[in-house]
Amino acid sequence: MTKIVEIKNLTKKYFTKKALDNINLDIEAGKIVGILGPNGSGKTTLIKILTGLLRQTSGEVLIDKHKIGVYTKSIVSYLPDRNFLYKWMKIEDAFQLFKDFYPDFDTEKFAELLAFMKLEMKMKIDTLSKGMMEKLNLSLVLSRNAKLYILDEPIAGVDPVARDQILDAIINNYHANSSMLITTHLVRDMENILEEVVFLKEGKIVLTGDTETLRAEKGKQIDAIYKEVFATEEGYHA
Amino acid sequence: MEFDQHLPIYMQIMHVIKNRIVSGQLRGGDKLPSVRDLAKEFKVNPNTIQRCYQELERENLVFTQRGLGTFVTEDVETIKNLKTGMAQELTQNYLEQMQRLGFTPQEIIKLISTRVNRRDDHD
Amino acid sequence: MLKFMKYEIRGTYRFILGVLVLAFILITGIYYYVTKGNSAGGNIFIGLSVLLLFGIALVTFLYIVGSFRKELYEDTGYLTFTLPLTGNQIVASKLIVALLWFFLLGLMLALYNLLMLRFFVRIDFSIIAWLQTLRHFLTNRQAVALILGAVIFGISLLLLIYFSITLSRVTFRNKKIGNFWFIIFLVLSALLSYGQMKVAAFVPYYLDLTTLNIGTLASMDILHMTIEQGAITITSSQYINLAVLLYKIIVIIALFLGTGFLIERKIDL
Repeated sequence: MTKIVEIKNLTKKYFTKKALDNINLDIEAGKIVGILGPNGSGKTTLIKILTGLLRQTSGEVLIDKHKIGVYTKSIVSYLPDRNFLYKWMKIEDAFQLFKDFYPDFDTEKFAELLAFMKLEMKMKIDTLSKGMMEKLNLSLVLSRNAKLYILDEPIAGVDPVARDQILDAIINNYHANSSMLITTHLVRDMENILEEVVFLKEGKIVLTGDTETLRAEKGKQIDAIYKEVFATEEGYHA
Repeated sequence: MEFDQHLPIYMQIMHVIKNRIVSGQLRGGDKLPSVRDLAKEFKVNPNTIQRCYQELERENLVFTQRGLGTFVTEDVETIKNLKTGMAQELTQNYLEQMQRLGFTPQEIIKLISTRVNRRDDHD
Repeated sequence: MLKFMKYEIRGTYRFILGVLVLAFILITGIYYYVTKGNSAGGNIFIGLSVLLLFGIALVTFLYIVGSFRKELYEDTGYLTFTLPLTGNQIVASKLIVALLWFFLLGLMLALYNLLMLRFFVRIDFSIIAWLQTLRHFLTNRQAVALILGAVIFGISLLLLIYFSITLSRVTFRNKKIGNFWFIIFLVLSALLSYGQMKVAAFVPYYLDLTTLNIGTLASMDILHMTIEQGAITITSSQYINLAVLLYKIIVIIALFLGTGFLIERKIDL
């Protein structure tokens, strides 16, 4: 199996606090991997390092055998958990920007996704609702034929219909040659599309494995395992 | 679809497909949905469906033709065996649960026949 | 990089156009009241307009500089800094577009003023004649030196601001102390000016633009200066301290690479 992501002894310190503590993780081609953990577990730090928005303190991170840089940015398709498009844009401008910067952008795929999401080229970015914004961003990100997709909380804050559309789009885009990294706290909604899960707690990997195997071993849904692992942090409302 | 906590998802989907075959929803020689389509239907990872098709193939219930897709077996005997097997499994489960409730085999037979007869009256 | 500049221009051109239109209207008004003669209303309008024009100039400057700041403080940074571009390319794009806007704004306002002069004052004002008059005071070399000097000043000012903003963002992860860059900017400006003074004092060799001789100011032909008395106000552009020039260029390169490095290596959005 080709490894798309190789992470060795990755540590990120903020002064003395360790946001990531000696992480080792490989992601093979064709896998959809879920990074699970509450806020402050190091999820975001890990993603920022992979996307080149942040540098590690120590350790090695390779994507497609390359250190993080211009090349890896050209093969990573990243959906941040916020609206990253310029406010002055219409959807067609955002589309043009992606086409300009990413040679792997598939115009036809984008047209299909846009129609599927019921969005139109002439719509202005700053008039879109939260759900529409999420769908647009996802359409842009999934229209690339990237090696690695990084989706940060792709279904947070959207209604159930949009959630199903987003899940369908993710499944539709599944490719044996590329991998997907998805962070979520909505484990119940997402766990069935994850092939592997990584539980991050206070910057450390506390549990990882094949989703079906974990379910069989523990006799529980991943959602239940999640609540168990993070019970102390999540408190009683978990 | 809501999945049972205690069984792997690929097994539960296998079960759904078996049901479709036995009930005639899927007939011998019919093409199964593509991995992607079925993955979307159940909202699961495509590799889960892949595994499910592999297991069904091992049980000789389906066969794959390269480039064309996966098809339900045309062997009538296999389908019949599947049907019998599933019926036996259901019966076995039923019996076990009834016995756990304290019913004797005779009582169970009596219950079933009254039930079946009453249904006949209504029809 | 050109692609990135394209989006930078598309993102800001509406604002620039708006500023130009507003400035044109105000300037037209000023010319109108000035030529119409003294009236209380006219004087108030002129006063207010001049104030407004200064205000607009300041806002425009901050807006153009702010387009860089926004990338570091707003969510669009998540797009910009994950594009397959180096930090240097991003800084260079921002810088070039900013210079382009300043140049265009300056040019448009100058041309519009000439147009207004022609229209209201009804002087048959020929640009060529004006340039000829100017040439009387300024040699070609001096003109080039002046323009180059302005460009160098613009680039180093912008880069110093970019560097200060980036350094402030990198040092303080808290977004609320976002205006601290101004203090960094002031301190760095002072340090750099001090450095420039020291360099000038340490290597007092100047290039005379007329004779192309190199020497200390004391050794330069004083007589030469008195002949060109008419141009006494521009004589500062007549002599260029080579070490200072080199120093300025080094500062520009250092600020550019420093900002690119911080963006690439130290940023945490």
